[in-house]
Amino acid sequence: MTNILPLEERLAMAQTMTDQPDGPGKRIGKRGELTMIGNVVPGGAELFRKRLPQFQAEAAYWEGRVGTVQSLRILLFDNDTRFVLSLLYDGDFKPYLVDIATQAAPWLDALADGVLEGYPGITSPKAGEWVISLLHPTEFSYAAHPDVSVRDLTRMKKLSAAVSDLLDAAG
Amino acid sequence: MPVQLELDDIQGTVLRNRPMPYFGAYLLFRIDDAKQARTLLRRLLPYVTSAADWDRPVEDAWINVVLTFEGLRRLGLSETILAEFPVEFRQGMAARKVFLGDVGASDPEHWDMPHGANGFHVGLLVMAASDELRQQKLAVGHEALAGLGGVKLVGRVDVGVPPNLREHFGFADGISRPYIEGQGGAPLPGQGEPAKAGEFVLGYVNELGVVATGPGPEALWRNGTYLAIRKIHQDVAAFRKYLRDNADSPAGQEFVAAKMMGRWRSGCPLALAPEADDPELGRDSRRNNDFAYYGEDPDGRRTPVGSHIRRVNPRDALKESLTDARLHRLLRRGSSYGPMLPEGVLEDDGQDRGIILALVNANPGRQFEFVQSQWINDGDFVSEGSRTDPIAGRRDHSADYAFPARPVRRRLAGLLDFAVTRGGEHVFLPGIGGLRWLAGGGDLQT
Repeated sequence: MTNILPLEERLAMAQTMTDQPDGPGKRIGKRGELTMIGNVVPGGAELFRKRLPQFQAEAAYWEGRVGTVQSLRILLFDNDTRFVLSLLYDGDFKPYLVDIATQAAPWLDALADGVLEGYPGITSPKAGEWVISLLHPTEFSYAAHPDVSVRDLTRMKKLSAAVSDLLDAAG
Repeated sequence: MPVQLELDDIQGTVLRNRPMPYFGAYLLFRIDDAKQARTLLRRLLPYVTSAADWDRPVEDAWINVVLTFEGLRRLGLSETILAEFPVEFRQGMAARKVFLGDVGASDPEHWDMPHGANGFHVGLLVMAASDELRQQKLAVGHEALAGLGGVKLVGRVDVGVPPNLREHFGFADGISRPYIEGQGGAPLPGQGEPAKAGEFVLGYVNELGVVATGPGPEALWRNGTYLAIRKIHQDVAAFRKYLRDNADSPAGQEFVAAKMMGRWRSGCPLALAPEADDPELGRDSRRNNDFAYYGEDPDGRRTPVGSHIRRVNPRDALKESLTDARLHRLLRRGSSYGPMLPEGVLEDDGQDRGIILALVNANPGRQFEFVQSQWINDGDFVSEGSRTDPIAGRRDHSADYAFPARPVRRRLAGLLDFAVTRGGEHVFLPGIGGLRWLAGGGDLQT
């Protein structure tokens, strides 16, 4: 390999992982992460896969509405008996839980009810407790742009498209 | 079915606007003897003012009683009930300093007003329309304390409006507040849909459609609520000098001040008068709050998205975002303390002056702490990165402020700590029945 910077220059770019100031999870800058591991109810995997195409198809709408989730992944493992839900999002988690519940409840409930063991419904007062009970602390996390939110990216894309249009028109 | 608030059981501070001018005091006490503290509550009970006649008070003065978490513990409330209080209240505001941005000069180690962890256990809030009425209410407190050596005064802050009837930075204050379902009368233009009573008083349905409840028996929490009390020192000289250094004329200074606040100092909103102040509009309660952002000013060309009033009350501006602004509203009771820095003076005189805020909220985490941490002390919610409130925000993450202007946007750098926290605590303001329950023993263990 060539062109690799010396160690001290590589370390100058280091990102520091910190605890969320309130609530669970770690963060790089203001990009937070959460990883939940829990059980799938017996027969839940089948239901999950049946619902998945609709969930995937509606994801952009509902996550767009929430507007702070950078990426979200769900997987089943151990012969479909357990699940991992992992997300990278902007800012604090706990303060926004109630807003997420009011904004994206129909979408989340339509996937998780009867699939994830103990799922109380995202609008339940017990939702926060349930999430926290399944969390596993991350050991490593990286964010390409710790200082840029989803909202910032949307705005930058809009600006960039406008500049592009302007240049096209001028040309 | 219209909501019926049990006004005669709700302490007056929740629903009453303070008189103008006003003469008030915050008296903070330490409890060393549970029985004596309960005696104090019993003696005060006949004098605690309810919200029953809040529209037309018999006398324009009131006395209300609050308790910190440690105060409830020292009264002897059982651990089972104590454990059910909201975590923010249990931990106390000083312990939550990092999340709330009380760092640097605002760190609790510099606070001069006691909090729950260093002596503030029970508090009396006195507010009156004259100094004479204030003295009468203070005399009530003094008599109630007679012979009770186990309850000691540990702090007192007198509040009163400066001679110019403005807060210390020179702004007309207390203009915008939510209209609460069941409070009577009609909402003023701009107050919008009535707020659910459960956002501000326990025992009523809140914006989530459920009844807001408290810990333990209903007798303890019904008609009670929480106040987030903040003592904020205002560095008036620094604020004035900053305006001077960032404008080339007195009119320019007023413009910069208005762009930071979102209102001209008269109270006139930029939303309705973006180019020049209109003091008459500022005084007109039927017009001075009658505006929204989403349709009229989405990019903050009039009222900048990062300005103080648009942060603490975004109205409909966040309609397309994750945040439901109705879940994060506060009822703000502000009163000034300390002498006014004379007009025109640009050097600090060493006097302590500022504002005491009592922010009414039934859910301290979802309301006060959310507003403080997400809206005042961060900028992501309006795509402003780590920028904070130009007047009240922390400065360790960002110290600049930008707003749209012609021909290009204006950026103000080097914002200072104009507002420094000097005290703060989450307190419980029981209903009058709750106070009676506490005074009478209830679940108390000692």
